[in-house]
Amino acid sequence: MNESERKILALRFVVVALIFFALAGLEGILMRLRIMNLLTEIFTEEHYYAIMTAHPFVGIYGWAYMAVMGAFYFLVPYVLKKDIYSKRAAYVSFWLMTLGVFTVWATSFITHYAPLYTLYWPLPVAFELTGWSPLSAFTFGVGVATILAGVLVFFFNMFATIFLPARGNPKPETEVKATPWYVAKELIVTAFNLDKLRARIKGVPNYVEKVFNYPVFVVAVFRGCVDTTLNAFVIGGVGALLAVYGVSYLVSQSGLAASLVDPLIYKNVFWWGLDLIADGNVLIFTAGAWYLLVPLLLNRPLYGERVVRSVILADLVVSLLVWNHHMLADTPQPLILQIQGQIFTWGELITMGLTMFAILMTIWLARPVKYSAPLKFILASILGYAVGGLAGIIQANYSINRYFHNTQWVIGIHGHIQLIVGLSLTIFAAIYALFPMLTGKSLDEKLADMHLILMTAGGLIMGLSMGLAGASGMLRRTLYPEGLGPFEPYMVAAFLGAVMMAAGFAIFLLNVLRTVGLRNLIGIFMPPKNKG
Amino acid sequence: MLAPFQYLVETIYLGIIAIVIGFILLFYWITKKPPKRRIMHEDHLNGGGIEKGEKRWLYFLLTIAIIGNLLTLSPLIPSSQILLWQDVKPSKTVTIEIRSYEFILPEKPIVVRVGEPIEFIVISHDLTYGFGVFRKDGSMVFQMQVVPKPYENRITWIFNEPGLYDIRSTEYSGPKHPFMLVKDAILVVGGDMD
Repeated sequence: MNESERKILALRFVVVALIFFALAGLEGILMRLRIMNLLTEIFTEEHYYAIMTAHPFVGIYGWAYMAVMGAFYFLVPYVLKKDIYSKRAAYVSFWLMTLGVFTVWATSFITHYAPLYTLYWPLPVAFELTGWSPLSAFTFGVGVATILAGVLVFFFNMFATIFLPARGNPKPETEVKATPWYVAKELIVTAFNLDKLRARIKGVPNYVEKVFNYPVFVVAVFRGCVDTTLNAFVIGGVGALLAVYGVSYLVSQSGLAASLVDPLIYKNVFWWGLDLIADGNVLIFTAGAWYLLVPLLLNRPLYGERVVRSVILADLVVSLLVWNHHMLADTPQPLILQIQGQIFTWGELITMGLTMFAILMTIWLARPVKYSAPLKFILASILGYAVGGLAGIIQANYSINRYFHNTQWVIGIHGHIQLIVGLSLTIFAAIYALFPMLTGKSLDEKLADMHLILMTAGGLIMGLSMGLAGASGMLRRTLYPEGLGPFEPYMVAAFLGAVMMAAGFAIFLLNVLRTVGLRNLIGIFMPPKNKG
Repeated sequence: MLAPFQYLVETIYLGIIAIVIGFILLFYWITKKPPKRRIMHEDHLNGGGIEKGEKRWLYFLLTIAIIGNLLTLSPLIPSSQILLWQDVKPSKTVTIEIRSYEFILPEKPIVVRVGEPIEFIVISHDLTYGFGVFRKDGSMVFQMQVVPKPYENRITWIFNEPGLYDIRSTEYSGPKHPFMLVKDAILVVGGDMD
């Protein structure tokens, strides 16, 4: 794959990701209206919860994952100065992701299948109680499994790109090692610094870990990919489980008994896997993007690079041990695990705090700074992570969780501010930074400023309004058909915030279309013309 | 309308994020200007260990994490006091069952006294639900998840204010979830009512 092909591939991923972002945003606005008990004739409860089921899959896997994949398919070879390991796998991952997300969305849209992303057992297979058809569970499960298959193909391609010699000029001695086992071994040894441990046991003096062979951005990529690969096995496994149950009910009326799966053990495994997205994809990849972009934009080295590498490792280890903060309200869960979940979650304050410190110090040492659009977006995303992360730390305490669990606080201030003002602004920063490299053209800075202000202010207004409603007792995932009562002003403010974000995104689209034109944008999906 | 504890948390949180927002704006404004003095050392570039300022920041974060854990696990937090620190024997146990999106209460309203420890055992016969107790203004008193059979979900609580309370499922369990509301399910007597 040459550089031009990688650019096209990255652009395809990003454009599809933006379409999914728009879809998730539209779903969000419709849900904001429905929660205010508007559009009740169009959107029944069944339809509302079907939208709510599709929304995070479209937003996380369709938008965030696909944008990250596109960026990494371009940036990892760019930074390592070598080609993507497999061109075919790159395209396979693109199609698996696109088709998987579309299947999940279409299933919810057409059949109103609505087990939500939480998929708490046995809800997804409670066909008699809910009236959902086994066929919808099957297609939904296949969609989920397809997405996560795409994720696994992508990560294998990334790991192989990082740890294997480039194809085309293999060295004889390394060619033999080019197996999945070799890649997995290199990954585990390097990601967890096990080579250093081995060197210590053997008493090797002055040993430098393998991780120092790689730029810090690449370290963040492969350490974050460890989390998200594990996540893919768990959530993909859940998708396969739904598909199997769906088939069992299609072929036999009694189907497989739901009691074959223990609901509490399932919930533990599910949250362990799902939370790895938050700490792998979100925190580590975000940190990696900041570590790459900020020095690049300021043309100076990253502050405290050695420390930063250790911070990423700490983040990886912490992320494997925090799932219990999702189970603080489950009284059958052992108390010791819940306290452990709380304590380790505070570890994220330390790792994220150190990450932000490194970035802010890098900017500080570069004074006077000429703020370009991507740098402004990064500064705003730091704000988003600080505001959303702090709310997360608060709700992840055993005793405080009793008042905040499953309220709008969790999904508003923590979830949406972190995902929109934190993660999405980081992705937009990367898009603004990579745009000239991928297209040879720059986006308008004034329109970018408007985009930033509307997204940041809108995201904060929406998230904070939802959060304050949550502190007042308003639940998430709950409609109030009897009337919103005291929560109504918060929901009106949240709607205004959502509209501001939509306006910001519309300005971004206008900026892109003005710069490259619709025809060129469509052109990236066309087969390349043969020269001569 | 906010319960006092939630109000306290919200106030502290909003205070901190006001500082954070102010800091980011100030940081943006200051870093656009040239430094008054030549920029200091660049020890961090030498590939050595942790830099002094970063070390101080690390110690600060560690301190906050330790204090945060100690504080939230201490009896200062009302729920922590009841759930972790008081070895209370419930003077009354109420078993509530949930089946097909319906709460089945042993009596309505369930009558309890102010200051009396009451244990709620909630059993779901089919799905994962939630069990939340709410004041009439919509604010939450407490809640727990209801994991379906074979599990029993137990919580012991002490009500401090007399009055009528609603029960609502706090966990999504399908499109009928919003209708899982039992108004005036609990009557707390005593205290000011005596």
